[in-house]
Amino acid sequence: MRGKNVQLENVVMRFGDFTAVHQTNLEVNAGEFFSVLGPSGCGKTTILRMVSGFMEPSEGRVLIGGEDMTGKGPNKRPTALIFQNLALFPLMSNWENVAFGLEARGIDKKTRRNKAYELLALVGLSGQEMKKPSELSGGQRQRVAIARALAVEPSVLLLDEPLSALDLKLRQHMRAELKEIQRKTGVTFIFITHDQGEALTMSDRIAVMKNGVIEQVGRTDDIYSKPLTPFVATFVGENNVLPGRVTNADKDFAQIETAHGIFRGRNQDSLKPGNSAMLFVRPERAAIVNGTTPDNAFDARFERRDLEGAFVNLHFRLGDNPFIVHEANLRLHNGFDGPIQLGFNADDAVVMASGEVNDDA
Amino acid sequence: MHSLIRSYGKPLTSLFVCLTAFWLLVMIALPQAFMIEHSLWHIDRDDQLGMKIDRAYSEMGLVEYDLKAAKTEKVRAEFQTRIDALKAQIAALEAQETEPPKIYGIHNYTKMSELHFTIFLKSIVFALMVTVLALVVCYPMAFTIAKLATPYKAALMMLGLIIPYAINELLRVYAWLMILDYQGVINSALAWLGLVSFEAKTWVPFLENPGSVFVALIYAYVLFMIFPIYNTVETLDKNQLEAAKDLGASTWKTHMRIVIPHAKPGIAVGCIMTFMLSVGSYSVPQIMTRGKSGDWFSQLIYRQFFESQNWNTGAAYSFSLVIVCLAFILIMMKSFKVGIRDIAK
Repeated sequence: MRGKNVQLENVVMRFGDFTAVHQTNLEVNAGEFFSVLGPSGCGKTTILRMVSGFMEPSEGRVLIGGEDMTGKGPNKRPTALIFQNLALFPLMSNWENVAFGLEARGIDKKTRRNKAYELLALVGLSGQEMKKPSELSGGQRQRVAIARALAVEPSVLLLDEPLSALDLKLRQHMRAELKEIQRKTGVTFIFITHDQGEALTMSDRIAVMKNGVIEQVGRTDDIYSKPLTPFVATFVGENNVLPGRVTNADKDFAQIETAHGIFRGRNQDSLKPGNSAMLFVRPERAAIVNGTTPDNAFDARFERRDLEGAFVNLHFRLGDNPFIVHEANLRLHNGFDGPIQLGFNADDAVVMASGEVNDDA
Repeated sequence: MHSLIRSYGKPLTSLFVCLTAFWLLVMIALPQAFMIEHSLWHIDRDDQLGMKIDRAYSEMGLVEYDLKAAKTEKVRAEFQTRIDALKAQIAALEAQETEPPKIYGIHNYTKMSELHFTIFLKSIVFALMVTVLALVVCYPMAFTIAKLATPYKAALMMLGLIIPYAINELLRVYAWLMILDYQGVINSALAWLGLVSFEAKTWVPFLENPGSVFVALIYAYVLFMIFPIYNTVETLDKNQLEAAKDLGASTWKTHMRIVIPHAKPGIAVGCIMTFMLSVGSYSVPQIMTRGKSGDWFSQLIYRQFFESQNWNTGAAYSFSLVIVCLAFILIMMKSFKVGIRDIAK
C-alpha cells in the first residue's frame, strides 16, 4: 500500500445559496497524516465528501495522485472512508465486513477470507473473525472499520471523526493506534475532527477551517505556536485574549493599549499605531511574577484553581477580562490575598489584527 | 397481571382481561372452531330414500287390503305383524329423511374432484406469481421512497400510493376492468393506432388471460407489500449504503448484501400479506374474468356456500386454504430466517 497525494484545485462547494466551502487550494502530501480541524458546520465534512467522491465540487477539481477525479464515483476512487458511526454491516460477521470490499471486486472467497484474517490480525482482532460487530466493544468495532477500509488497499484513507463516540481513555489509546497503523501502511490519512487535541497529537500537518474557509495550513507545532489568525489562536489550544489598540510598533514588536494596561508582543501582522488589535498569550507562557519582572507585568484578581492533574489552571480576572495561567502542579494555591502580579515576556505573546475568535469555550 | 392490577386497579384490569378474552374467543377461536367442526362432518343423504318410503307405503296398502280380505284369525294376525313392521320401517326412513345422520370424518377433504383440485393448485401458483410480481414491482418503489427521494418527494409519492386506497376496492377493480376490457382503454388506444378493429372483433382479449387478474391483484394489494418493505428499508442507516459504495460495491451488490438482508422481515411480511390476500381474493377474479377465464379457488368456495348450499364442503375447502396460508407463513419464516417477533414488528 502506498499513499498518494491529494490536491484540491480552486474547489468551491455550494448548496443553493449557501457556500459550504469557499474557493480552496490545498495539497495533502503522499503518506502524511493530515487533519482538517474546525468547529461543526465549518465545511470540513464537505471537503471529505468531495475527496471521497460522494459530492462533486461546484467549481474546481480534486486530484488524487495527480489524476483528475472529476466524474468518478466513490467506488471508482482510490479512497476509503471511515464513517463517524463506522457503518459496519451488522448482519455480517467481522471477517465478512472486512472482506466486503474484496467481495465487491469479485475476489474468490478463500483469498478474501485470508486477507480479512490477516487485516484483523494487523488491528489486533485475531479470534474475533466469526463474531458480529455487535458483539464487540466500541474500540474493537473501530478497528474492524479500519481493517475494512484498509482491505481495499486505498491510497488515501478518509476518517470522519471516527473517535468521537469513544470514551476518553479509549480515544487516547486509539489515537496512538491510528498513528501506528498509518506509519505501518504508509497510506495518506485525511482525518476530520473538531477536537484540536486529537488533531495535534496525531497529525503531521493540520488545516484549520472556519465558515468554509481554510484559515491556516501547517505543521502541528507551527499551528500551535504560530497561529496566523485570532480564530486559529483561540481554537487550537487555549489562549488569553486582550483586545485593544496599537500605540507603538516596529518590525518585530507592537505595543497595545488595552483596558487593563499596556502590553508588548510580537508584531506578526506588521500593524501600525492606531490599528485595532488583539494580544494573545498562551496560559503556559504566563506566570505569577516571582523574582525577576518579565516584559509585561500586571495585577489580576485570583478567582479559582482548577486541578487538571499534572498541571493546574489558575483563573484570574483583569476587570471583566478572564486570564488563565497554567502551572505545573507543584504546590497548593490557597492563601492569595488581594491582587496578584502576573507577567509574560513579549516574545511569548503575539499581537494580531482584530478578528473573530472562537467563543465556544 | 400483578403489574397491570397495580397500574390500573382491579375493575379496569378485569375489564381489559374480559375484553381481550372476548376478542380471542369470539373473534378468533370461535369462527375457526365452527369452520373446522363443519368441515369434519357430512350428512349422508340416501338418494333412494324417497323411493324406499314410497315403496313401503304401497306395500303396506297391499297388506292392508289383504288384511281386510283375510278369513281366519291366524292369517289376520300374520298380516297385522307385517303392517306393524312396515310402519316401523317407514317411521325409521322418515326420521332419516327429516333428520339425516351426521357422519364425522375427513370425507369432505378427500372427496375433492380432480377439477377442483386443479383449480386449488392453480390458485396457489397464481397467488405465488402475484406475490413475486408484487415484490418485484414494490421493492424498488419502497427503496426509492425510503432512501433516494427527498423528504418532500417521498411524502408526495406516499400520498400518491395511499390516495387510491380511499376508494372502494371494487371501484378500483372496475377501473382496471375498464382499462383492460374488449373495448376498454388499451384496446381503444390500439384501435386508434389502427392495430385492432372493434368491428372485426380483433381486439386483444386481456380479460381472458389470468394476467389481467394478476394486474388487478397487484394493484389492489400493492400497499400491503410496499409498507412493510418501506418500514424496514427506512431503518437502514444511509451510511451503510455509502460505505458499501465507497468499498466499491455495485448497486446490485449493495442490494443483495446490505439492503435485502436488512429488509428481510419486511419482505417476508409483505409476501405473506400479499399471498394471503390474493389467494383468498374473491371480488378481483370474479369481476375481472366474469367467467371468461377459469375460476379461482375462492370462487369455488363461494359456490359451495351460496349456490350448492353445501356448507360442509365449503368449510373443508376454506380450511384447506387456511392450511396453505399457514404453511406459506411457516415457509417464509423458515427461509427468511425471521422470527414471529420480527414479523410482529
